Amino acid sequence: MSARRVALLGNPNTGKSTLINALAGAQLQVGNWPGTTVERLLAREGERTYVDLPGAYSLLATTPEEKIAVRSLLEDPPEVLLVVLDAGNLERSLPLLLEAGELGLPTVVALNLMDEARAKGYRLDPGALEAELGVPVVPVVASRGEGIKALKAALDRAAVPRSSLAYPPALERALRAIEAHLEGPARRARAALLLAGEDLPAPEEAREAARFARAALFELGLDPYLELTGAVFARARELFKRALKGHNPRPTLTDRIDRLVLHPVLGPVLFFLGMLFVFRFTFLFSAPWVTFIGRVQEVLAGWTQALPLPPLLASFFTGALVAGVGTVLAFTPVLFFLYLAMGFLETSGFLARSAFLTDRLMHAVGLSGRAFIPLVLGFGCNVPAIYATRTLESFGERLKTALAIPFMACSARLPVFALFAAVFFPERATYVVFGLYLLGLFFGLFTAWLVGKVAQTEPASGVMELPPYRWPPLRVLLAQARVRTRDFVQGATGPILIAMVLIWALLHLPPGPLEESLYARVAQTLSILFEPLGFSDWRLVGALIPGFVAKEVVVGALAVSFLGAEPAAGLGLLAGLHDLALAFLAALKETFGALFALFGLPRLGLEAGGSAPALAAPLSQVLTPRGALGYLVFVLLYTPCVATLAALAQELGRRWAAFSVAYQLTVAYLAALLASRLLP
Amino acid sequence: MRRLDELSPGEEGRIQRVSAPKGLLRRLFALGLRPGARVRLLRRAPLGDPLEVRVGESFVALRKHEAAGVVLEDER
Repeated sequence: MSARRVALLGNPNTGKSTLINALAGAQLQVGNWPGTTVERLLAREGERTYVDLPGAYSLLATTPEEKIAVRSLLEDPPEVLLVVLDAGNLERSLPLLLEAGELGLPTVVALNLMDEARAKGYRLDPGALEAELGVPVVPVVASRGEGIKALKAALDRAAVPRSSLAYPPALERALRAIEAHLEGPARRARAALLLAGEDLPAPEEAREAARFARAALFELGLDPYLELTGAVFARARELFKRALKGHNPRPTLTDRIDRLVLHPVLGPVLFFLGMLFVFRFTFLFSAPWVTFIGRVQEVLAGWTQALPLPPLLASFFTGALVAGVGTVLAFTPVLFFLYLAMGFLETSGFLARSAFLTDRLMHAVGLSGRAFIPLVLGFGCNVPAIYATRTLESFGERLKTALAIPFMACSARLPVFALFAAVFFPERATYVVFGLYLLGLFFGLFTAWLVGKVAQTEPASGVMELPPYRWPPLRVLLAQARVRTRDFVQGATGPILIAMVLIWALLHLPPGPLEESLYARVAQTLSILFEPLGFSDWRLVGALIPGFVAKEVVVGALAVSFLGAEPAAGLGLLAGLHDLALAFLAALKETFGALFALFGLPRLGLEAGGSAPALAAPLSQVLTPRGALGYLVFVLLYTPCVATLAALAQELGRRWAAFSVAYQLTVAYLAALLASRLLP
Repeated sequence: MRRLDELSPGEEGRIQRVSAPKGLLRRLFALGLRPGARVRLLRRAPLGDPLEVRVGESFVALRKHEAAGVVLEDER
């Protein structure tokens, strides 16, 4: 008989995703565990399905991931349990296998990372483990596909492991007493969990028996948790000694890399360069495709103009629908490459090192080092940064970080900064822009600190493993980045389209010149509020409204209201296709060019391209440097864009998303007020 | 009696007992930091905290105040 549902269980960083990729990578699906944001990998091969359980050190769960793994095993037990051990860290990975053995499920053991074990100087005997446990034990190097065939064959020989845990008599009696009140499979495992004080669905009599037994054991001076794990660890040690044929300790590549990466002086420098590299990677590779998507939008607009449609309808088509879809699509290349970079950092082991290096710094504002990378990603784009908070341990930690992220000056805000800085502070443009970045960072960190104080969230634990450095499997990274980008498109398209339609309606109703539109009237009404900040021209205030959809739109909106809209020229079908083909080729060429540019020196300096030169004159007529500073600070801080809000709503719930808008508007107003007082 | 956070980089010792709140204790145990295990302090982060220790084949980062609960056996 061939097993249909195989679940992979193992410690974090034992190469489970690499193994699932080696087993059936062509059919890899990335999703989430139902009702959670914990990622789940699934792969099918013919009739068989492989599921990757979240990484766990123990079934006595301390993390959300471990809780999911335990629940899944108890409530939806697989036909075969594939326990993945780290051969290079065997003694540490055995306790989970022993705990899982009590579940009574047909089990197979994959002794993964045999290459690392050899590199560390271990000689192991899988046969000895097999004889002790009574289940197939297959040595594997998942990253190279070694042993995969044998592993698949072994899945048909899965066996229930021999129980070999020797508990002290008092504990054994307690377990039996609880077991007597349980029914169904995995009685012993559930009894052990109850005895350790875990909360799981069980009949009231069993819970009562567990409470009674715990109290009795404590009276004897025995802590059930310590006794249970003590038996597990003792047996793990014994098994490890049986399997160990010899050990010549050797320094590994990880030791050598860490000597540099975690060096007190060199470490932070390398780390800074590494982050720079991540951003260059993201933007060099995504920029050509953002340009291409812009071109697609123009061609679509041109085609619409060539159709025999009433002008208002044609304008709705191009101004609301095409522009809305275009905005969503323009996000995707940036997101895809940022997700790719993030996935690499996460699985290669660098994320943990960055947390180690920055933990003390982040602790000053009540965050843990793990929050550093999500915050820094915010400088690229707030959306993936907010999704990256999933790697944080507690809701409190995620809340603090996610509310801080929208203050990070994402790349979409740069065009606005560059334009105003060039027009109003030509001598000191770079400093002004740099200052704005720092200001955003300051308010972000301040927010995290404040939320921590007000919500009284407990600081997250600093205990974490620094896993060995490894090359992540590219196919898994690509699949993850693709699915995460797709999730964004699904979640944000609705809100962005709605916002675009609303803004289109403001701009074009009632039909006529812009000065008489709803947009102008709303902006004029609001402009009183902004008088104290140093800017009150309705066109400046108005541009903040579409800026809500995506911050870079502010410049375009200013251009339209100051210089008038450029009428889109009609475009024939063939001419449009020709344009698209050329633009596609150009994007491809640039992407390849980026491969080389990646290792070149970054270009410094700001470019205020596009409509900027033409805007300089009208802007300086309606704005003083004082007002410009107020405007810049306001644009930096005022609200997360719609896409970021969608991400916040998904991660924290709608109420927190609404809170962040109100909070940021307040902060932006006060900060801009202050900033505009700085200048005469 | 020495505590884990008092070791200098390169020094090691055997764990006598671990006192920590439940969640932290379980995590430390799971990562191998439990009585009887030999642990070596590898390095401190550039700002002095957290610490990186090695226990068996595991590399574990933990903050100073968390390491203070890990008591080592006397050795002479």
